Amino acid sequence: MTTVPLLDPPTPVLLAPSQHRTAEAAARDTTGAWAGRNREYDLLKEFVIALVVVSLLAAALAAVFSSPDVHQVTLSSWSRSTPNDFVATAATELDGTSGTATYGAPYTHTPGVAQKIGPVSLQHIAGVTHPIDSAADFVVRPLSGIPGDSALSAALAQWGSATPQARQSWASSYDDALQKAPDNDPAKVAVGSYGPVPVMIARLLALAQTGGLDGALLLQGSFYQSDYTRPLLFIADGAYLGDKAAAEHLSGEQWGMMNETGSFPGQAWLWLYTFWYQVKPFSTSGNADALVMALMGVLSLGLICVPFLPGVRSIPRWIPVHRLIWRDYYRNAGT
Amino acid sequence: MSVNLNSPGHYLHWWVVQISVANAVVIAVMLTLFVLALVLPFPKGRSHR
Repeated sequence: MTTVPLLDPPTPVLLAPSQHRTAEAAARDTTGAWAGRNREYDLLKEFVIALVVVSLLAAALAAVFSSPDVHQVTLSSWSRSTPNDFVATAATELDGTSGTATYGAPYTHTPGVAQKIGPVSLQHIAGVTHPIDSAADFVVRPLSGIPGDSALSAALAQWGSATPQARQSWASSYDDALQKAPDNDPAKVAVGSYGPVPVMIARLLALAQTGGLDGALLLQGSFYQSDYTRPLLFIADGAYLGDKAAAEHLSGEQWGMMNETGSFPGQAWLWLYTFWYQVKPFSTSGNADALVMALMGVLSLGLICVPFLPGVRSIPRWIPVHRLIWRDYYRNAGT
Repeated sequence: MSVNLNSPGHYLHWWVVQISVANAVVIAVMLTLFVLALVLPFPKGRSHR
């Protein structure tokens, strides 16, 4: 138990300057020691009560509402649910037109795609810190780990010995033909000069459906395989993950930043961050992420500097909520 | 007694605003607690000189 100086309201800075001086002058003697009233205040008791109440509340709410339970999206589940989407995405990884292959930093050196704030590109400043060759990393390397498949071995040998121009021609031709095929069905692709690509894509689909591709893309040469960047990028390049996110109202144009799966409440405190993405110029800008980040940085700086901003710092005088909180004091003080 | 919240959520639309009913309920509860904190009297401690 401790006693604290009783100076209502406890934050004197909210008083008008004349009131502030009067209260302090009356409460202090010439030595500077507090001479006003004291109130007993048990900080430990308050802490324990708050801890117990919040703990009981959290346990009760967890027991009643549980937590979101959505099945993990993997390359295996994707390739089994929508194999045509997987094949179409794999074709774009091979011909270098996928979202990952054209993303720019930190994954590729693609010029002219980085977001900018005016002339400054933070994306370029950071550089390509996680280099990804989508054809090699997502398709060729995982396939090269499959033993005992002579057709695949021949296809990989043909791919490996071909010129970059020939590879690009095969992959682009197959990707175009796949886009034109009914339902993007690889079985209905028109006859063409695709080299080893159809065999490679078919084997990659089979590998993914067994779950082998998830493991192959997680291999990082260390004991712990905890970097999910590659499988996540591959999955995000397809339509499957985006469609599932849109169905759960999690995409950017759906205020997804503040939503949660199912009927659970989400991150409502991110409302201002996600609001900007819904209005112009941000909603139609290719620099939206950089612009919104910069705007929120400026607004956050403004929030920190509220005591120094003329007008803004006077809002408590115009909307005197503190007078409602410490109404007893103001009633007794007659102000 | 448990409530299954994994079923598809309900959303409110107005102008560009989209908000889930669950988020709206949480915000309403927060505002209610704020108003109650303003209106309800402070517990009085013992005071002495």
